[in-house]
Amino acid sequence: MRARVLDRDDALKIVDLLRRQGYEVIAPFYGRGRDTLFDTVTDQNRDRVQIHLPNPYYPPKRYVFPHIERLLKVQRSNGDLHIEPTYEQPLRAIFGIRSCDIAGIFHLDRFYLGREFRDIYYDNRRKNLLLINVVCSDPEVDIGEECFCMCSDTGPAARGHFDLQLMDLGEEFLAVAGTPAGEAMFADPIFKKGTEAHIARRRAILEDVRKRFKPITTSWFSAAIQDVSKGEILEKTWEEIGNRCLECGGCTYVCPACTCFTVTDRQVGPNEIERVRIWDSCGLDGFTRMAGGFNPRRAVHDRRNRRFFRKLAHYFIQRELSMACVGCGRCAAVCHGDIGMPSVVEMVRRATAEVGKAEAEKHELVSH
Amino acid sequence: MNSSAIENVTRPIVPEPIENVYLPKVAVLDRVVDEIHELKTFCWHFEDPAEQRAFKRFRPGQFAQVSLFGVGEFPTSLPPSPTEDETFFTVRQVGSCTSALHQLKAGDKFAIRGPYGNGFPMEEYYGKNLVFVAGGIGLIPLRSAIVYALAHRDKFQRIQIFHGAKTPKELMYVPKLLEWERTPGVDCHMTVDRAGADWTGNVGVVGSLFKKPGVEVPVDNTIAFVCGPPIMFRFVIKDLLGMGFQERNIVSTLERYMKCGVGKCGHCCIGVAYVCVDGPVFTYEQIKKLGEDI
Repeated sequence: MRARVLDRDDALKIVDLLRRQGYEVIAPFYGRGRDTLFDTVTDQNRDRVQIHLPNPYYPPKRYVFPHIERLLKVQRSNGDLHIEPTYEQPLRAIFGIRSCDIAGIFHLDRFYLGREFRDIYYDNRRKNLLLINVVCSDPEVDIGEECFCMCSDTGPAARGHFDLQLMDLGEEFLAVAGTPAGEAMFADPIFKKGTEAHIARRRAILEDVRKRFKPITTSWFSAAIQDVSKGEILEKTWEEIGNRCLECGGCTYVCPACTCFTVTDRQVGPNEIERVRIWDSCGLDGFTRMAGGFNPRRAVHDRRNRRFFRKLAHYFIQRELSMACVGCGRCAAVCHGDIGMPSVVEMVRRATAEVGKAEAEKHELVSH
Repeated sequence: MNSSAIENVTRPIVPEPIENVYLPKVAVLDRVVDEIHELKTFCWHFEDPAEQRAFKRFRPGQFAQVSLFGVGEFPTSLPPSPTEDETFFTVRQVGSCTSALHQLKAGDKFAIRGPYGNGFPMEEYYGKNLVFVAGGIGLIPLRSAIVYALAHRDKFQRIQIFHGAKTPKELMYVPKLLEWERTPGVDCHMTVDRAGADWTGNVGVVGSLFKKPGVEVPVDNTIAFVCGPPIMFRFVIKDLLGMGFQERNIVSTLERYMKCGVGKCGHCCIGVAYVCVDGPVFTYEQIKKLGEDI
C-alpha cells in the first residue's frame, strides 16, 4: 500500500512543503463566527489552518470553475476585431478538501473533460491542482446534520481521485497516496513507514464514524434514483416540491457538482470587451427563456423537477459515469424551503409509497 | 466502473492539446438581404480562408454561434446547404443580439463559431421520398436540407415541400420556393391562414394541404421534416401519424436558449438530451422519449 504515517504536529508541514514548492495552498479556516471557509494560506494565517471543522458552505469548486471567469478579451480598432483567449494555469493545492468535494471535482472532471468537447479553461485550472483530502473522522465537528455521503457512496473516506489522503488516527496521521504526485511527497522525512496496526486503527475509526451519521432519510437515495429514472414521480409531487421553492438559486451555488453557466460580455475599456462566464442556476426563471420571451420551462415545479432529474436520473449517471450529487448536504443546509436533496428524496419516497398503497388497495378490490 | 479508464480522463498521461471551443473566429459581413418583416439574410465569410474551408464541411441541420461583442452570443440555424457557395444566416430581430446583428452593414466584422449539432443524416435518407413541412420561419432550418436534396436530386425519390404562414407577406424564401417548384419531381405547396385580395393560393393551416385534391403525400419509404411553431408542430404530427407515418420517420429540429453550443452550459437540456450536442435534429420517436415537453 502506498501509505505512510506522520506525527500529528507534522500535518501542517505538508502545507509548508507545498508552499516551498511554489504552490498556492488553499485550506479551510474558521471565519469570524462559526462559519468556515476555504482561503489561501499565508505566513500570517498558516497556524490557523483547521484539520477538523464543519465543511464550508462555499465549496472549493471555485478553484477549478470560478464564479466569474474571463474567457476572451476582444479589442476593436478601425473596424477590426482582435480576439484573444485568456488562460490561467495556477500551481495550486487544496489542503483539507473533504471526500464529498473530492467527488465533486471528480464529477466536474468527467463533465468538462470526459466528453466530445473538452473545456480548455477547466483543464488549465485542473492540470496543476493537487488535492490533499482529509477524511471526516471527528463526528462531533466534521459531520454535519445534513451530511449523507454514506448514501451517495462518496465518504466519509474518499476511495480515489485525491493526490494524498490524510486520516487522523489520534497521535498520528495516516497518509495514503492516490497519484504519483502524492507519492512523490513521501520523499520528505516527515513521512514514516506505517504498520499493520495503523491500518487496523483506520478501519476501526471509520467503522465508528459510519455509525455516527444522522439516520436521515437518504437511505432511500437509490430508490429515488430508480423512481426518477423511470419517470414514476407524479406531477403532483413535483408541484408540492415546487411550491416550497423560493427560486433563490442557493442550492446550485453551494453545490460542488453543479456545472451550469451563463456567458456575458462586459465593456472594460473604450474599445475593449471581456467575455466572461458566470455560474447559473436551473432554478432561476430566466434559465431557459429564449429571445422573444418564450420560456419552455416556466413553472417553478418544472424547474425543480429539472434539477433533481439532472442529478438523479440514471441516464446522466451513465453518461458521465459519475453522479451529480455527492452527498455533502449543503443544499439542505441553505434551503429556506427545506427542499434540499435529503428532503426531496423523502418526499419522493413518501409519494411513491402512497401510490403503491393505492395500487395495492385497488388490486385487492378487483381480486375480491 | 473501470478505474484506469477514468484515470486517463482526469489525468491524461500524454497531455493532448485541447482546442478552445469557446473561441469565435472573425467574420466579415458581405451583404444583407431583406426577407420578410423583421427578417434579414446576412451573407458573410470568415476573415481567414482556412476557417471558411473548415466551416464549409457543415451538414444540413447544424447550427452556429454568432458573437456580437459587447452584446453577446446567440445560436442560429444554418439555412445554406454545404453545396452552395455562399454562407449566410437568416435571422429575425427579436432580442438584443439579433438586434445588434440587424444594425450591421456590409463590411462590418463580427464573429462566429461552429458548426455544431448533429444535423440531418441525409445519407441515411438516400432512396427515400422527402416531405418538408414548414410553418413560418420553420423553413429557415429546413432550407439547407431542401437545397442539399435538390443538389443530389438523383439520390432521392419524390420531394414535396409544404410551406404555410399567417399571411402571404410572411411566407419565407418565396423566390427560392418558386425556383424549387420548377425543378422536375418537386412539388411545392403554399398556404396562408389569412389571405388578402391578391392571394389566389390555398387558405388554411399547413396540414390542410395534405388533403388537397391532386396532392398525394407518399407515406411508405418517406421521411417527413417538420419545423414550425409549437402549435403547428402538434397538429402536423397528428396529421402525419393519422396518415400512417412511423414516429421514427418524422424528423424535426428543436431550438432552445443556449450559451455554449458544446454541451457544457446546461441551458438547452430537454429531459435527457442536450439540444446542442444530441440535437438539434431529433426524430419524433426521440422527442417523445426526452422525458420533458418540448
